[in-house]
Amino acid sequence: MSILSRRLPRLARQFSSSAARCLATPVAEKPVLNKEFKIYRWNPDEPATKPTLQSYTIDLNQTGPMILDALIKIKNDVDPTLTFRRSCREGICGSCAMNIDGQNTLACLCRIDRNAAKDTKIYPLPHMYVVKDLVPDLTLFYKQYKSIKPYLQNSNPPADGTEFLQSPEERKKLDGLYECILCACCSTSCPSYWWNQDEYLGPATLMQAYRWIADSRDTQTAERKEVLQNEMSLYRCHTIFNCSRTCPKGLNPALAIAEIKMQLAAD
Amino acid sequence: MASSLLASSSKRALARRGPAFAKTLLVSRPATTQSDALYVPGGPIYKGTVNDPTSFPTPSRVHGSHHWSFERLLSASLIPLTGAAFATSPSVHPVLDGILGVSLVVHSHIGFDSMVVDYLHPRKFPVLGRVATWTLRTATVGVLLGVYQFNTNDIGLTELIGKVWAA
Repeated sequence: MSILSRRLPRLARQFSSSAARCLATPVAEKPVLNKEFKIYRWNPDEPATKPTLQSYTIDLNQTGPMILDALIKIKNDVDPTLTFRRSCREGICGSCAMNIDGQNTLACLCRIDRNAAKDTKIYPLPHMYVVKDLVPDLTLFYKQYKSIKPYLQNSNPPADGTEFLQSPEERKKLDGLYECILCACCSTSCPSYWWNQDEYLGPATLMQAYRWIADSRDTQTAERKEVLQNEMSLYRCHTIFNCSRTCPKGLNPALAIAEIKMQLAAD
Repeated sequence: MASSLLASSSKRALARRGPAFAKTLLVSRPATTQSDALYVPGGPIYKGTVNDPTSFPTPSRVHGSHHWSFERLLSASLIPLTGAAFATSPSVHPVLDGILGVSLVVHSHIGFDSMVVDYLHPRKFPVLGRVATWTLRTATVGVLLGVYQFNTNDIGLTELIGKVWAA
C-alpha cells in the first residue's frame, strides 16, 4: 500500500512525459518572459523592522494570467513565507483584495501587465492595520457591517407562513447592491474612510445599509435611516467617487450613498 | 465561551497597554461622538469583542440631513445669486449684494468646518481641533461684520470686484 502510494505520483508523471514525447509535432518551448514583482513585506514577529518592498522575478510564461497566479507561483516556488489571503480565485469571495499598481482590486481578477520592462508593485489595502505582508486587519470593517443590521427585519411575516413576496420592480431596486462581496476595496480607497474610519462607515457598509433601506420586504426602514442622522456615519462622504472607480465587481457605492442622502433629505 | 475569552483577553490587553493613557484618551473625547476603537501604536483596541457591532452617535437631524440639505441648497443658490448680483446695479439693489456677501461667508464657513471635522476632529486632536473650530467661528463672525460694514458704509462687494476687474 505504502509503496504504491509513493510510486503513484511518479507513475503519473512518467505517463504524462511519455505522452508529450509521443506528440507528432513537439510543443514549442515558450520563451522566458521574466517580470519583476515588488511586494510589500512586514513580519509581525519582528515588529521593529520597517516594512520593505521585496523584489521577486518570475517567468510569466510559466505562470497563469492573473496577479493571484503570480503570487501563488512566488509562494510555491520562491518564498513560502509570503503571506496573502486567497480562496475562490474567481472574484466571488473577496479574500484577495489588495493594492496592485496603485489600484485596489482583487488579485484574482487583475491581469498581469505583460510588459516585462515595468515592475508590478503590490501592497496591502491602504490605510489599514497590517496583520502580515498583504493581510490587512478587517475587524473594524466587519464590526461596522454588523452595525447596520445586514439582515431582513420584518415584524409582520406573511400569515400563511410562506415567503415574503416582492414585485419584479421592487426586486430590481436591489440589483447592483446585493452583488457586493465585501472585499473592502472601495472603503479602503476612500480618503474619508482613511482619516475617519472609526466613525465613518465607508462606502461598502453604506451601500449595504442602502440595500436594506431599499428592500421592500424590510419594515425597519425608518430606524435604519435614523441611525445615519449624524455628522460622521454617512455625511463624511464628500463624493470623491474612488469607491465606484475601484470596485472590482463594477458596482456603484457612490450612487447608493447619494440615494441615502436624498432619502434622508426628503424625510 | 469564545466571546468571553476574547472579551477577557481584550480587557487584559487594555490594562497592559496602560490604563492611564487609555483613560485620558477616553475622557478628552467630546460627548457627542463616541469611538469604538482606541487607536494606539500596534493596532486599535476595540470596544467589546470582535463580534460586537460598532455603535452610532446620538441621532441628530441638525447635524445630519438638515445640515446637508442646507449646504446643498446654499451651494446651488449661489450660482443664480452671483449672476444676479453682477447683472444688476449694486447701488440699486443693496439687499441682493448683502445676501450674496452673507451666503458666500456661510458657504465658506460650512466648507472650512467640514475640513476641521475631517482632519482636525476634537476626538483625535483635543486641543488643536477646538482651537481650529473656534478660530473658524471667530473669523466667520468677523468677516460677516466686515461685510456688513463694507456694504452699508462703503461701495459693497459687487462694486469692489467690478472695480478691481476694471483696474
